Amino acid sequence: MGKYTRRFNELNSNDRPLVGGKCASLGEMVQAGLPVPDGFAVTVDAYEDYRDASDLRKELLRIVLGADAHSHASLQQAHDESVAMILGRELPPVIEQEIRSAYLTLSNETAQRRGTDDSERIPVAVRSSATDEDGDAASFAGQQETYLWVVGADDVIAKVRECWASLYTPQAIAYRSELSVADASEASKISVAVQLMATADVAGVTFTVSPRTGDRSVIAINASWGLGQSVVSGEVTPDEYWLNKLGPTLTTTRIASKAHEYVPAPGGTGVVFRDVDVARRDVACLTESEVLQLADIALRVEKHYGCPQDIEWALEHHADGTAKVMLLQSRPETNWKKRKEEKSKNTTKGTSNLLGFVAAATKGEN
Amino acid sequence: MTTTDNAVENPPAHEPAPRERSFPDPYQMETPEGAEGWEDMYAYHNRFLPTRQAEDSAKTWFRNSLHYPEVSYPFDQVTIDGAFTGTGVTNTRVFALPPAKGLDVRVINGYTYMSTIASPDAEEQARRAEEFGKRAGYYFQNWDSLYAEWEGRVTTAIRAVRDIEVPPLSEFEPIERITVDRGPSQANQLLAAYHRLLEHGDQIWTLHSEFLNLGYAAYLQFLTLCKEHFPEIDDQTISRMVSGVDVLLFRPDDELRALARKAEELGVGELVLAATTEPELLANLADSDAGQTWLTALDESKDPWFYFSYGSGMYHSHRSWIDDLRLPIQAIGDYIHRLRSGDDLTRPIDKLQSERDELVSHYRSLLDAEDLTGFDETLALSRTVFPYVENHNFYIEHWFLTNFWNKVREFSSLFQAWGFWNDVEDIFFLRRAEVEEAIVDLQMAWSAGGNPQGGHHWPPIIKRRKEIYEALSNWNPPPALGPVPGEVNEPLTIMLWGITPETVERWLTAQDGGGSRTQLTGFAGSPGIAEGRARVVLRPDQLDTVQEGEILVSPVTSPSWTPVFGRIRASVSDIGGIMCHAAIVSREYGLPAVVGTGFGTSTIKTGQLIRVDGNAGTVTILDESTGA
Repeated sequence: MGKYTRRFNELNSNDRPLVGGKCASLGEMVQAGLPVPDGFAVTVDAYEDYRDASDLRKELLRIVLGADAHSHASLQQAHDESVAMILGRELPPVIEQEIRSAYLTLSNETAQRRGTDDSERIPVAVRSSATDEDGDAASFAGQQETYLWVVGADDVIAKVRECWASLYTPQAIAYRSELSVADASEASKISVAVQLMATADVAGVTFTVSPRTGDRSVIAINASWGLGQSVVSGEVTPDEYWLNKLGPTLTTTRIASKAHEYVPAPGGTGVVFRDVDVARRDVACLTESEVLQLADIALRVEKHYGCPQDIEWALEHHADGTAKVMLLQSRPETNWKKRKEEKSKNTTKGTSNLLGFVAAATKGEN
Repeated sequence: MTTTDNAVENPPAHEPAPRERSFPDPYQMETPEGAEGWEDMYAYHNRFLPTRQAEDSAKTWFRNSLHYPEVSYPFDQVTIDGAFTGTGVTNTRVFALPPAKGLDVRVINGYTYMSTIASPDAEEQARRAEEFGKRAGYYFQNWDSLYAEWEGRVTTAIRAVRDIEVPPLSEFEPIERITVDRGPSQANQLLAAYHRLLEHGDQIWTLHSEFLNLGYAAYLQFLTLCKEHFPEIDDQTISRMVSGVDVLLFRPDDELRALARKAEELGVGELVLAATTEPELLANLADSDAGQTWLTALDESKDPWFYFSYGSGMYHSHRSWIDDLRLPIQAIGDYIHRLRSGDDLTRPIDKLQSERDELVSHYRSLLDAEDLTGFDETLALSRTVFPYVENHNFYIEHWFLTNFWNKVREFSSLFQAWGFWNDVEDIFFLRRAEVEEAIVDLQMAWSAGGNPQGGHHWPPIIKRRKEIYEALSNWNPPPALGPVPGEVNEPLTIMLWGITPETVERWLTAQDGGGSRTQLTGFAGSPGIAEGRARVVLRPDQLDTVQEGEILVSPVTSPSWTPVFGRIRASVSDIGGIMCHAAIVSREYGLPAVVGTGFGTSTIKTGQLIRVDGNAGTVTILDESTGA
């Protein structure tokens, strides 16, 4: 591959500056032999060179710096102008060609592997991949866009441009308008992940640390019907599966009433949000063996990264009833450390007093 | 119903404010019908006194149903007073435990309640901490050698009690009294012997507590550390990391297994199987060499391993294996059958050991490097102290107390011979001070060559007290008295008694008529889930009713019930936290257990189908039917 695209299996965490955190992490997981749907990154250079191929960079900078961060109308106008500009300018053919070709290669290989005919129209997910270190700024900077069930090279390219344009939400403009020129420029770097769509009928999130208490001996899985978006966005109350890492063993199952789900649109492009049929609503969406399979994979991911992870996954059921787990992304879970510190402060006074005295006595202090 | 002497005659005239939730006021307790006059069975220091009402009504009193689930016999109050003296003096005066003092103890309607004495203020705690550091530090640093020395002192005390001679009160003093020692008379010796017995029965509790609370404190330190790192870890996982896999309490049962094996090796298995009592055993085996060899092995096992109480050991009525061999003989029979069906009867010690190591390395692997040293140090200390925590029970409650109660019976036999009462067990209906009165009566009568007064005085009193005892036994004592405690955070209270804010809330709900009638919640004592028919066993003498495959439901279980654990599927107890005996034994035997349910024996009926979830700590009654 070239300057503007990289296949996941060529990437690892060191490539974050070039392809953003999400793509680097996916690459890292592919290289670790974890089950990740294949795909490629549209590199930071693609958007950088796009901006430099015309006066686009200068124009966008003018709009951002000219916006009044305290005026809603001004931000909205800046947003409309920038988006129109990013979507409207001609994409240099060398960039467009490379993305097109990367998609067609992925699509062809996949169609061949799956034995399907539609070799140039394999569905993919297109998502932004932020470059900043901690990911906190990304939410302000608008680098959070996701497009599911994107089909065909033209549409992929269009959605890549929409990811770029998502840098210019009113909030993101407000955020960057207060930065220095250099920082604003750094904060407007973006990569895009193009990844095979998992044809999931169940999806969810796994924490390799208790989101409740920060307990590192615990795995928590949230799962619901359809694509994972409903769980991540909080649009449904998911089933909860709690495990002890030792084993791992399932300790608690809480089945929720799952009223809605995202599924691929009937037309083959995009997704629809629909009611779950009554028969499935109150039924566990994972079997115990699927829960254990997910837990095993989560432990491999955690081991690979060496710290607690927050993992998005999807389950694809084959005709024979077996399930294949696919990991969509994994991020370090950082809250546990904070919780741990709070927890030790909360130890009851009576206990800590007595224990302090015991600790001192065992060390021969006093 | 009548009110007790201790109750206030005239409650305040003003209209009470809207009642906040509370437990019954000890001064408003009614005497169960037929138990009028129960107060005479206990010394004044054990009772709620009218002039102390303001102070005592303001405190929360927890029922000590872990150690004293049954009505106290007047004489048996010796062990209750002694035990609280021992733990009090050890905490308060010996080690100067900074935040905790001892407990106040009262008896109401025959049941023992206790209340914590307020913690000292910060300044006093600091002063105590300095002392505690010196004193506890010395123990922690010399633990193993001090423990070895302690074992010596305890066995000396046990032998001393066993060797107390109750003078026969023979017609004449022995001639040696004239020709050799010219020492005290048998009358003098009688009182001295009784004092010696009380002296040892008192001092043993200081030995009991000597290491115990330090041991618990060290364990608690590890428990708290684990919970800081792993807030969702359950107590049984923590105790599995610490517990010894081979502790003294399993030794008596191991002896039974060995005897079963020996019987088969010697070819006398059938003869053992044919016996249910000790005389039958002797009759069956005495005639052959092989039988004699086996009986010799039995005698060796008996001392000390059959000095194992059927109950907690705290009551004279529990008796021990040594007093009644039926249970061990039946258990040996069970083991012989198991051997014949191919079971080698070994406990999986290696497996338990490697599971324990695996558990520790798993949790270690989840810790940050900076936390490892603290974890390793507290775990190591816990493991150092734990053998004592687990083993003291055999020495004191079983071995010592069995000898102690039987020595009291020797005194009683003498009184019986002098017409004081008809039944040797009657002595336990006298308070310790009353026994001393009886001794003086006997001293004087024997010395003068007359007849003692006892036979005229005691029989009606004993008869009445037996009636009172029955009436009190049928009464259902509340789990707590007085106001709802502000917060329960004294760590030893939580760990030993299973009293947490949640338990208090459950008690209140049940008292107010709420709560589920088909689901009980307790502590997850030992993991696993089992279903089966319930068998409610209130007293050790009901143990032989337990059938294969039943679930044992009892107020509290004793380690000496372990042979029965081979027959049951799970156990449920009213009382106990994660470190109670039922939990330890169940974990060792791989049986699900829920402990500290509060109302198991009063809610579940024998014959009901129940499910015990030892992972979640719940017991569910699956059907309402009752068995025969």
